[in-house]
Amino acid sequence: MDEFQEILQDFLVESFELIEQLDQDLVELESRPDDLELLNGIFRVAHTVKGASSFLNFDILTHLTHHMEDVLNKARHGELKITPEVMDVILESIDLMKTLLNVIRDTSADAGVDVSECVSRLDKISGGDGEVETPVVEVAPPVEEASQEEPEENEPQADEPDYENMGEDEIEAEIERLLAQRQEEDKAKREAKIAAGEDVPAPPPAPSEEDEKKEEAPKAEAKKEAPKPPAPAAPRASAKAESASDDEPKAAAPAARAASNVEQTIRVDVKRLDHLMNLIGELVLAKNRLIKINDDVEERYEGEEFLEELNQVVSIVSLVTTDLQIAVMKTRMLPIGKVFNKFPRMIRDLTRELNKKIELEIKGEDTELDKSIVEEIGDPLVHIIRNSCDHGVEMPEVRAAKGKKESGTIGLRAYNEGNAIVIQIDDDGKGLDAEMLKNKCLEKGLITEKEADLMTDKDAFALIFKPGFSTAAQVTNVSGRGVGMDVVKTNIEKLNGIIDIDSEVDVGTTIKLKIPLTLAIIQALLVGVQEEHYAIPLASVLETVRISTEEIYTVENRSVMRLRDEVLSLVHIGDIFEVERILDSSEHAYVVVLGLGSSKLGLIVDTLVGQEEIVIKSLGEYLKGIDGIAGATIRGDGGVTLIVDVADLMQMAKGVKTQALSETSSAVNKEKTSASDYTVMIVDDSKTDRTIMRKSLEPLGIKLIEASDGQEALNILKNGEDHYDAMLIDIEMPRMDGYTLATEIKKYNKYKNLPLIAVTSRTGKSDRMRGVESGMVEYITKPYSSDYLSSVVQRNINFKSEFL
Amino acid sequence: MSDKLKDIISKQAKNDEIEVGHGDDIVQLVGFIIGEEEYAVPILSIQEIIKPMEWTRVPQTPGYVLGVFNLRGSVIPLIDLRLKFGLKAQKHNEETRFFVLKQGDDVAGFVIDRLTMALRIKKSDIGPAPDTMAGDESLIDGVGKQADRILTILKVNKLLERDFS
Repeated sequence: MDEFQEILQDFLVESFELIEQLDQDLVELESRPDDLELLNGIFRVAHTVKGASSFLNFDILTHLTHHMEDVLNKARHGELKITPEVMDVILESIDLMKTLLNVIRDTSADAGVDVSECVSRLDKISGGDGEVETPVVEVAPPVEEASQEEPEENEPQADEPDYENMGEDEIEAEIERLLAQRQEEDKAKREAKIAAGEDVPAPPPAPSEEDEKKEEAPKAEAKKEAPKPPAPAAPRASAKAESASDDEPKAAAPAARAASNVEQTIRVDVKRLDHLMNLIGELVLAKNRLIKINDDVEERYEGEEFLEELNQVVSIVSLVTTDLQIAVMKTRMLPIGKVFNKFPRMIRDLTRELNKKIELEIKGEDTELDKSIVEEIGDPLVHIIRNSCDHGVEMPEVRAAKGKKESGTIGLRAYNEGNAIVIQIDDDGKGLDAEMLKNKCLEKGLITEKEADLMTDKDAFALIFKPGFSTAAQVTNVSGRGVGMDVVKTNIEKLNGIIDIDSEVDVGTTIKLKIPLTLAIIQALLVGVQEEHYAIPLASVLETVRISTEEIYTVENRSVMRLRDEVLSLVHIGDIFEVERILDSSEHAYVVVLGLGSSKLGLIVDTLVGQEEIVIKSLGEYLKGIDGIAGATIRGDGGVTLIVDVADLMQMAKGVKTQALSETSSAVNKEKTSASDYTVMIVDDSKTDRTIMRKSLEPLGIKLIEASDGQEALNILKNGEDHYDAMLIDIEMPRMDGYTLATEIKKYNKYKNLPLIAVTSRTGKSDRMRGVESGMVEYITKPYSSDYLSSVVQRNINFKSEFL
Repeated sequence: MSDKLKDIISKQAKNDEIEVGHGDDIVQLVGFIIGEEEYAVPILSIQEIIKPMEWTRVPQTPGYVLGVFNLRGSVIPLIDLRLKFGLKAQKHNEETRFFVLKQGDDVAGFVIDRLTMALRIKKSDIGPAPDTMAGDESLIDGVGKQADRILTILKVNKLLERDFS
């Protein structure tokens, strides 16, 4: 059974691939009905599927494909003209075939689909024309078939094929041979049935060898009314088939043909590739971490010899990781042709439905995209192209009146542009009318009059992506149901893509989709706000500018700035993400200019951290769909950084009121009622020194907290358990020295006025200068008397003498 | 020496018997404290228990969702059970732990005040949740009674379910 499953899998994969090709070929065939090459190709597909499905005992599928094969066979011998009506039936049968294959995929059996109606229509076509023609020609197909496809049939066969030692081509050949053999068996079976007077599901021109059968088959068809159970015939048939196949001359390797066009490929389970991609993601994170550590080490051991070596290793690792990442990404790439393939058929159906004449031009179908994107891009493209057909291209008469060619053209192009791929859909239809769009939106209340006035044409074009918008005066089956383009936009943005739309009235419309090559790993700009970091996908970042707070103007409660000759609306990232303002904002800020399609937004951040390659991780079921957050990534230091969802952000920005940039926190200075209400922190790495200070200050009765270095002190402050009235800080300490500590503390709004007193044995003038620069108010040199220390502290904390 | 060892082993064996008895009507739980109360979750739902580590705040979430943290390469939400249960926030200390609970694909970390112990408890000693607290929406699965204490057994699937929009 397992073996069967395996064969079945291969069969399905192959069949789906063939059918995809088939759709396209058939549409092409309609325009070039006498292209024999094309016809032969199409015929072979039907034939192959038939052969394989009969091998796997999918009777209904075999039945259907068999009839298709008949029609095609006639066509290919010029007995049947491919008219659009004929094509309709053929296409319908291919749809049925797809349905059947889907059913087979899901249930491993082909039951439950009624093909009889389609089959009878196929018969009508083949039968009707076939009877007029002389049946003699019918002799040819199987023979020609055999000679075309299995030239090996007539060659003698090596006794027992050695499968182990076969090359790929040879195996291919062997499979072909077995298939051929199977076909022979089928023929034999049919013969047997006919001989037994059985009802044969095969219609007239079965690819059999004897022409007499051609005459007999219709009769068999006619007998359908009273079919006898085929069971009794079966054993005989198979017995006969076996002997028949034994007698068949068998094939040797037709290596030459196979070798020329078979690519060296293996099929790999997608899951494995996904796993590989995940692993690469981890590796990229580890690489980032390594680079960070390398930087730290470099700083600390500047000039050491081993650094050179470390540098080399790090750069090799990062280089190889990048290469590896690209290589794995490539394994996941699929040509976009996979998606494009279905459009010729779609356009064909649409033109018939809409009574328009449209030609589709496809270019760049070899352009490759990540598998997951290829899967996602299909639906948006369908929407866009339907729209172009329905609303874009005019009716032939209208076109003629405008002096255009009667048949419209829709161009579908894909090409690479930097780290992204662009899919461009052009039509030469009536184009978009900016004024009309605006009026429509005003009517529907989607925009206000004021907004409409401010809109450029490009902004107006983007209106078609608004939910609830539809320009079609008449709702048709094809489009204009008010869903669609906004869904397209959402889907494209989900892929981190950008939509650009351009149009000219009566000339046409161009829609460009710019999509990143892969989803899993992206370039991002890391920005800081207060103590938090966020990652912004670099694809949406147009530029960054440093501005002073004076350049920010407020217009109608919204912040804006002038960027060259444009007015850019601004929003502070802290307002969007509810970041608590603990650090004092400086008078300078950075503005990250975000662009998504035609809309722009300036995002104010406190710092720019840099550009980094990040691996997108989901936030999981519990936190998914948080507004403005697309996911998370793990940084070099092991921390988690959230990734901004630019599309969401732009939406949210509309609702955010900007807080005044310099919001002063009200210092909570409670009235001191006793000496123990005062708290002083002592920061010194020496236990002895701390004890000396404690001894000096204890008599005051104030609360004393100790920290053994700058880092610890800062952590205590950050936790903010107590309110501190002063700090005594040693300068030379491990981990974080006194100057750094003072600088860090002064960054916090609420410690602006906290007196910092340096207690040190450094006495140089420059030391004192540095102390002042970093925000120290007093400078006590060791050794000092307890009284002096005590008095300095008292003075700085405004100690009330009555507590003494 | 070996006598001592034997002694210990036999004692342990006895202890086990006393505590457990054998059979499948035993539930293994891990107990922990939040505020004043002791709670417990099935031992099998616990992926791991770790010491507190740095986390990243996630905006637009209720207060009890502290954010996300990095657990060996996975980004996992962190929920403060004190806040979730309506208690006041408390600074993390030496005894604070992150409970990483897992059910199916859902994983989340929960901040608890301190661990108590792993325990085996007979199914018959577990009573239903009080009527006022019962129902599908309740976080409480049942109440376990042991000699000197009462444990509130929590529903892991409810804990892992997002209850905000």
